[in-house]
Amino acid sequence: MRRDAAARLANMSADERALLRPLVETSSGFRVTAAVLGGVTLWGVFAYYLQVRYGLGRTGLNRPEYWGIYIICFVFFIGISHAGTLISAILRVSKAEWRRSITRSAELITVLVIGFGAIQPIIDLGRPDRVMNVVLHAQLMSPLLWDVVSIGLYFIACTVYLYVPLLPDLALIRDSGIKAPGLYKFLAAGYRDTPSQRARLERVIGILSIVVIPIAVSVHTIIGWIFAMTLRPMWHSTIFGPYFVMGAIYSGIAAILVAMAVLRKAYKLQEYFKPVHFDYLGRLLLVFSLLWFYFTFAEYLTAFYGGEPAEMRTFWAKVSGPFAIPFWSMVAGCFFIPLTLMWRRSTRTPRGTFVAGIAVMIGMWLERFNIVVPTSVNPRWEVESIGHYMPSWVELSIMAATFSGFILLYMFATKFVPIVSIWEIKEGREESVRLVADRVAGYLPHAATSLAGGDH
Amino acid sequence: MSPTRREFVWTTGAAGAALALSRAHGILWTTADDEQVGWEPGIEERLSSACLVCPARCGIRGRLVDGRLVEITGNPLHPMSRGGVCPRGLAGVQVLYHPQRLASPLQRVGPRGSGDWREISRDEALAIVGERLRDLRVGGRPEALALLSGYCAGTMSDLWRQFLGSFGSPNYVPDEHDDATEVIMSLVHGIPRRPSYDLERAELVLSFGAPLFESWWSPLQALVAYAGRGSGDGARPRFIQVDTRLSRTAAGAHEWVGVRPGTYAALALGIAYVLIRDELIDDEFIAQRVEGFEDFTDARGRRRDGYRSLVMRDYRTEEVSASTGVSVERITSLARAFARSQPALAVLGSEVTRSPEGLLAGLAVHSLNVLVGSVSRPGGVMFGDDPPLEPLARPVLDPTARAGLGREQIGDPGAPFGGGDRALRFAETVAGSSNPVVEVLLVYYANPLASSDRPEIWQDALDRIPFVVSFSPFLDETSGHADVIIPDLLPYERWQDAPTPPSYPYPVWGLCRPLVEPHEGGTHTGDAVLALARNLGGSVAESLPFDGFEAAVKARARGLFAARRGMLLGDEFERRHHRQMEQRGWWLPEHSHFERFWEDLVERGGWTDLFYDDTDPARVSRRPGGRIHLMPEELLQALEEQGSAGAPYSRVARTSSAAELEFPLLLIPYRLFTLASGTLTLEPWLAEQPAVFPEVFWGPWVEVNPETAETLGLADHTMVWVVSARGRYRARLKVFPGTARENVCAPYRLRHPDGEVANPRRLLDNSRDRLTGLASWYTTRVRLERA
Amino acid sequence: MTRWGMVIDLDLCTGCAACEIACKSENNIATVPPDQAEMGRAISWMKVQAELEGDFPHTNVRFTPRPCMHCDNPPCIKVCPVEATYINDEGIVGQIYARCIGCRYCANACPYTAKYFNWYGPEWSDSERRHLNPDVSLRRKGVIEKCTFCHHRLQNAREKARAESRELREEDFQPACAEICPTSAITFGDLDNPNHRVSELKEDPRAVRLLEDLGTKSKVYYLASRE
Ligand SMILES: Nc1nc2c(c(=O)[nH]1)N[C@H]1C(S)=C(S)[C@@H](COP(=O)(O)OP(=O)(O)OC[C@H]3O[C@@H](n4cnc5c(=O)[nH]c(N)nc54)[C@H](O)[C@@H]3O)O[C@H]1N2
Ligand SMILES: Nc1nc2c(c(=O)[nH]1)N[C@H]1C(S)=C(S)[C@@H](COP(=O)(O)OP(=O)(O)OC[C@H]3O[C@@H](n4cnc5c(=O)[nH]c(N)nc54)[C@H](O)[C@@H]3O)O[C@H]1N2
Ligand code: SF4
Ligand code: SF4
Ligand code: SF4
Ligand code: SF4
Ligand code: SF4
Ligand SMILES: [Mo]
Repeated sequence: MRRDAAARLANMSADERALLRPLVETSSGFRVTAAVLGGVTLWGVFAYYLQVRYGLGRTGLNRPEYWGIYIICFVFFIGISHAGTLISAILRVSKAEWRRSITRSAELITVLVIGFGAIQPIIDLGRPDRVMNVVLHAQLMSPLLWDVVSIGLYFIACTVYLYVPLLPDLALIRDSGIKAPGLYKFLAAGYRDTPSQRARLERVIGILSIVVIPIAVSVHTIIGWIFAMTLRPMWHSTIFGPYFVMGAIYSGIAAILVAMAVLRKAYKLQEYFKPVHFDYLGRLLLVFSLLWFYFTFAEYLTAFYGGEPAEMRTFWAKVSGPFAIPFWSMVAGCFFIPLTLMWRRSTRTPRGTFVAGIAVMIGMWLERFNIVVPTSVNPRWEVESIGHYMPSWVELSIMAATFSGFILLYMFATKFVPIVSIWEIKEGREESVRLVADRVAGYLPHAATSLAGGDH
Repeated sequence: MSPTRREFVWTTGAAGAALALSRAHGILWTTADDEQVGWEPGIEERLSSACLVCPARCGIRGRLVDGRLVEITGNPLHPMSRGGVCPRGLAGVQVLYHPQRLASPLQRVGPRGSGDWREISRDEALAIVGERLRDLRVGGRPEALALLSGYCAGTMSDLWRQFLGSFGSPNYVPDEHDDATEVIMSLVHGIPRRPSYDLERAELVLSFGAPLFESWWSPLQALVAYAGRGSGDGARPRFIQVDTRLSRTAAGAHEWVGVRPGTYAALALGIAYVLIRDELIDDEFIAQRVEGFEDFTDARGRRRDGYRSLVMRDYRTEEVSASTGVSVERITSLARAFARSQPALAVLGSEVTRSPEGLLAGLAVHSLNVLVGSVSRPGGVMFGDDPPLEPLARPVLDPTARAGLGREQIGDPGAPFGGGDRALRFAETVAGSSNPVVEVLLVYYANPLASSDRPEIWQDALDRIPFVVSFSPFLDETSGHADVIIPDLLPYERWQDAPTPPSYPYPVWGLCRPLVEPHEGGTHTGDAVLALARNLGGSVAESLPFDGFEAAVKARARGLFAARRGMLLGDEFERRHHRQMEQRGWWLPEHSHFERFWEDLVERGGWTDLFYDDTDPARVSRRPGGRIHLMPEELLQALEEQGSAGAPYSRVARTSSAAELEFPLLLIPYRLFTLASGTLTLEPWLAEQPAVFPEVFWGPWVEVNPETAETLGLADHTMVWVVSARGRYRARLKVFPGTARENVCAPYRLRHPDGEVANPRRLLDNSRDRLTGLASWYTTRVRLERA
Repeated sequence: MTRWGMVIDLDLCTGCAACEIACKSENNIATVPPDQAEMGRAISWMKVQAELEGDFPHTNVRFTPRPCMHCDNPPCIKVCPVEATYINDEGIVGQIYARCIGCRYCANACPYTAKYFNWYGPEWSDSERRHLNPDVSLRRKGVIEKCTFCHHRLQNAREKARAESRELREEDFQPACAEICPTSAITFGDLDNPNHRVSELKEDPRAVRLLEDLGTKSKVYYLASRE
């Protein structure tokens, strides 16, 4: 089977050969990594068992530090999920041609990461056995409930949005018969890349890419609202909705960059993830680092200027108090590092963007931390003594497991679907040059005739 | 709604399913409904009783459900506590069901303290003890029987005295709150009785170190007065607390005057100075009722400085300010306030007397009341009387008894005034003598091995006593070293009369009655004593002719019934009505038969007489001549005999000792509000957060000023050793701005969760007041080391 | 319209904490072991808080007994996803322990940190079980709890009044803390009923509510002379 799969590959087009190889060949490096990640994940599952068995007491949480690592990870992961769908949707809508080789890997991130994000609040529950009460006794005033809805929607939309553009490639794999024929026959759902099907496909993708944008925006807006709707100092802020969305996209881009850099090495895809891709995304990252600074500055300035005592206690706790280190690391990771690296073309290289991406991801995790913890430990009612928080090994294990679990799943995914959309690349090679030429022509004066048709 | 459901299932269905599964096994969670398990309310009752947790003896009500005591609330009819109960009283329910409680009488089988016991029956136990006692009388050594008794008032102590008396032993050894206030009153007023304080009707209460709201004789008396609930018109006295630390009392009071340790007397006399200088004293009262204010000639015809001269010479405000650390202005304003707002009251904290010059210091503080004439006046110092109880029975003394009583008490005071720390002197004597002076020791409500500041001496003493009987319901340190334990019933299971302490001006005879079924393994110590008497027979039995303690208590109430005064506990209206009647010399009986009287008394929770006759000169002074003596002869003599420099009201130069270098800090032990006993591992509710401030949980701590902690390089919350020349103990350091820089405040009666005792009093240097023999509690120097 | 509320006179409060213990006894509040308490997991529906300021000998203390404020506009109930915390038509904010999923959102939303979470299941030694109050259900692992204004006492009082076929009187329904306070610092009753003391006390010039500016419409008033 292996050998003839290789044989089959041999007589396929270069693109197909390069992009389908990961599906049939598995390096030992892959196995080792998978084993390690698997171990970590299982350990986390065990930690969670303990938590369920004995209670949330096994965490470092307390009063008034009611929320910790889990909620931080929740916000963080859902944020990452904006990588794929939103970015790729925007790129699609804006007909950015360079998108073609990166959308798939991005969308894949989204779908997988949503799941891992969504379970965090459940892990955080004191009574997960009653989770169904959210449905049975739904209280529509609660932002938590809005969140359940929007995340639900988002998950569906993203899955569809991942699946539809997959069809041609699935069909291709089915026809090539290099792997699990039964499975791909099912997945490809009788798609036979006929021109009419292809046309319909394109239309559906077009619609989806527009639909997902508002949904994606709503998701993180609402997550921001979960905090903003309380009266807690430095949570109760109108900017939180947009602030969170921006941050989400930001961390999303960072995630794509990191993923691309890794895939590029692991699967030798230098041909597909070209410096130019990194360069463009790098520019995007640059823009967002500035945006991030703008939002953050606005947020903190208003708090500081208002000078309300309760707000100031939290404010100083972050800026110069016990949380100064996470705070300034955040500023470095989300602003200075990406700014300095993405500023010059010379560092907008794959390596440069990789470093910047990592910095931003860490920075954004810290941002979530700096939002959740300092406010929690500084109760609004000032006579209440200041709290403290030290995550327990259980929490840290579960967090580690979440990361490893996600990476693991992503790795397996690359074993089943081409990580770069084959058909879109093809399409690019065959048509986009002409299309772009026309479009560009369309922008220019007196040259629209060929497109406008003889209507005068 | 429905879309929500569908999508919700999408995201969380998987997780949900998994968890639903584990739930099915029912191991992980109790299901909703079992949160109600076993909660069908049963038969409910509320019974009046009295709280025996501390000497205050407040009126309580027990809430019973199906015979379980589920809650303690206050008895609003009790004139002193008025329905209030303190945290300790409330936590009583956790004492009743305390895990350390003994299930039955025990006899030691292994060596002492080995913890090997044999469960025996009540009769067996009583037989064994009776045996030993009879031998003593047969052998003609009744005095070789001794009783060590913790705080115990009313019929229980009368019963013990009657028993020892008729048995022939003079060795009733109280191990209760010793201080010199009683001595001071007998010297100044010729009335050997702890003073009562009419806090309720005072305008100003100036307390010197007395922990009025915490561990005073009656915290509830003070709290009720503070709230103005005592004075019919709701007027509130102003409370000013002079204290070396920000105690709970200081915090609750209207004003706190922080002073240097051991300078209470100086401050008092500084105030006296201003009173005299500005002519704010009650000249008339002094002229008519007071001796020793002006210069006088003593018995040996020598000219002596009087109070006035001494104070005017030694206590100029500047000097007082320097020694006490209180500003001149503050002293002056305190004095003015004290004189202007009449009636004003200076409360003598028993602690004042626990210093090397304690007696004189106490004298100084009390003198303020004399200067403004606040003696036996409404809102002043008073001398209440005891409830007119029926005497137990005429003690019958046979020759053996007479002989025994003729022999001298073990552990002589060794000081001209007061018994000193009586229990400790007793222990010293017993430990010091080669042949056993005590053959049988009965231990009641006391646990010296845990509570004494010299446990090692007590250990030796116990080792030299052949037979030790404990009546403790708990296996505490001392009962652990006994030969036989006959566990007492707990307060909520037994009959006992509960008279309010002397601090309350009016006699209240509270009644503690069984709320729950007595524990089958327990024996009311009163019943045990009566049984022993019966079993000894003869004159002893004749002296205690009761077939049970309940009968004895009831018999005593006949005195109240016949007294033609007082009333059963009643509400505000009844109280006022009664007081007015008695003022006019009226008294109408409410009951014609004793039985009905008794029933009502039990139902209401006690008897009281709220009329205080302040026209009675015997309540001002009972000294020959009926005058108050600020310069008591016997005191002056004693001082001379000791060749002591200190005359009353004259300053003694404070000598700074070498120890101050090695031990830079001064130890200030204090009793925690939330603690009632040195022994019991605390009631969980109280142990979890023993103090409102500083914020502490469970274990012991010491309070240190932020600056001091900083200079010592010790962070808040670190575990430290408190080290004195005599020993050390472990506690958490709590940074607390209410502590002076040079002090370490140490709550006592705490233990570590593992049971390790943390008793600052074991560090005390052995200095004592030569006049009273009382140990000084506030002169010990310590240092702190990281543990 | 009945609106149950409380007035606490801080000028009378000596911080004795009897209210705290009375509440624990009345409402079956379990203690937590030392390490847990140190972590800030002790439960105390009524918490006497001490504000200290100044250094020896000028240190001042202000005690503030803090129950649940039973806000008329409670931030805590809005956010609960399952309606496990609610306000009834007499203004008492309650908890449904059997429904609570333990997300602790309400706890975060309460500006007075009046809510407590059961990080572990409560542990009752056999001796402690003996004195549990049968009128109050026990809370288990993973749910939120807080002061209920001793709601169960109201139900009992109502039944009693009905049995004696008469109106509910002020003294019929007093929560444990108000009942026990040695200085009568705590007054409880119907804020809208002119015959109840609270209704006039809350008009006292000294009357303030905590964090009034948040518009929670707290029904616990504090009397404090601004010295
Ligand atoms: N909670 C509770 N109360 C009780 C009892 C109980 O078991 N529990 N038992 C009763 C008994 S037996 C006793 S002995 C009493 C104990 O009660 P007290 O004899 O009053 O002793 P403490 O409660 O330790 O109070 C000592 C006070 O003196 C102050 N002080 C500190 N330094 C000095 C100083 O240099 N001079 C003076 N004069 N005072 C100073 C301290 O601040 C402290 O507040 O309590 C009685 N009441
Ligand atoms: N560590 C420490 N030492 C102290 C003090 C302190 O506060 N802390 N205070 C000092 C002072 S002022 C005094 S007065 C003495 C007091 O010291 P003690 O007289 O020893 O008083 P407690 O330590 O309360 O011990 C009383 C004992 O009585 C027993 N007991 C409890 N309830 C009952 C009951 O219902 N019936 C009977 N028969 N026994 C019962 C308990 O076992 C308890 O151990 O200690 C002195 N030493
Ligand atoms: S003051 Fe003493 S007697 Fe009164 S309730 Fe408290 S402990 Fe009991
Ligand atoms: S019981 Fe009363 S006085 Fe004591 S703390 Fe509570 S409110 Fe204050
Ligand atoms: S005080 Fe807190 S818990 Fe109580 S009602 Fe208000 S918001 Fe809710
Ligand atoms: S913790 Fe319970 S009560 Fe609070 S919001 Fe969550 S579900 Fe509602
Ligand atoms: S009202 Fe009841 S529940 Fe609330 S604090 Fe007071 S006693 Fe506790
Ligand atoms: Mo004592």
